[in-house]
Amino acid sequence: MGIAEAAESGIIHYLPQEIASGVQVHMQTLYMSWLTMLIVAVIVFAATRKAGIIPSGIQNIVEIFIEWLNGLMEKNLGIEGRRTVAPFIITLFLYIFVGNEMGLLPQVGVHFTSPTNDINVTLGLSIMVSLLVYILGLFKKGPGYLKHFVQPYAVFLPINLLEEIAKPITMALRLFGNILAGEILLIILYQLVPWVVPNVWVGFSLVIGFLQAFIFTMLTMIALAPVFKEGH
Amino acid sequence: MVNINWTIVAQILNFVILLWVLAKFAYKPLIKAMENRRNRIIKDLDTAEQTRLDAEALKAQYTEQLSNARQEATQIVDKANKVAQKLHDEFMDQARAEKETMITSAKESIEQDKQQALLEIRTEVIKLSTQIAGKIVNQKLNSADDQQMIAKTVDEVMAKH
Repeated sequence: MGIAEAAESGIIHYLPQEIASGVQVHMQTLYMSWLTMLIVAVIVFAATRKAGIIPSGIQNIVEIFIEWLNGLMEKNLGIEGRRTVAPFIITLFLYIFVGNEMGLLPQVGVHFTSPTNDINVTLGLSIMVSLLVYILGLFKKGPGYLKHFVQPYAVFLPINLLEEIAKPITMALRLFGNILAGEILLIILYQLVPWVVPNVWVGFSLVIGFLQAFIFTMLTMIALAPVFKEGH
Repeated sequence: MVNINWTIVAQILNFVILLWVLAKFAYKPLIKAMENRRNRIIKDLDTAEQTRLDAEALKAQYTEQLSNARQEATQIVDKANKVAQKLHDEFMDQARAEKETMITSAKESIEQDKQQALLEIRTEVIKLSTQIAGKIVNQKLNSADDQQMIAKTVDEVMAKH
């Protein structure tokens, strides 16, 4: 049974709904996306509500992530780059991380799924990243930024264009595939071996969820890096 | 399954809203707090370093002062010792001189007394000798010649002794 068949068979359902004529959305994805946003916002606000000189409790945990991401950003984008994109990168990481773990919550009453198990979400995020790269590139370097399409030679234009299109698609598919496959396998494992084995898989998926969030964030930084590099 | 629809737009909107809310209300205070802490730690470390340097300078100063004071104290004690020695020597010299003077004057006085005594003895001896001689020769030996002759004899006898 392939991923597509599993989804068609109703193991994973997105609750498609037409909210206006011709405007179809996946309600399940949106519910979970909102829940993820809420959780991220609650965590971050809890951490900043009493942001003090001496951090305590949740502020410590959030600061560990922020320090870690800040370090990565400084390494890849420099100090100026970090200042510009820190909120975006941190939000992106926290959103994907929390979203990835959502599908692993126990299915008691509510059908929890990861918003990132929907190609619309991952593609939305990766397209947003691509757009951000162009916007920042044009903003920082002017129209000359587009010159990189014809570098090193004009002949490379098709290849460069293909790369620009392939990048967001691969990013989106990698995240989407990993998370969806994890969830489908979890459901199948529950049906095949209800005890112990699914729990092991949940533990494994928690790590995968973190890893995929990190990979997506890291690729975003790599995509942003040329914008902040001097002399290009 | 891989059904791309308007969810993609809704999702981008969702994320932008989350980003805006967090960036505006959460990250700024948090990053500010982190920066403040960082600056404060840097400042505290600098202050601690400065304080340490100050303390070391003070210590060096005190050590120097202490060694100076010690040197001065040694000098003062040396000087006092020298003065005491000098005074002692002076007193000793004076005492010795006084002693010498006293001995000399005593000797002189004794000599004087001795001479005086000898003179008196001589006079007495002359007188006695004259009387004895007068008794022996049974006549008075009063004349000046007699006296002179006896004095001469007495002197001779005394000179022998």
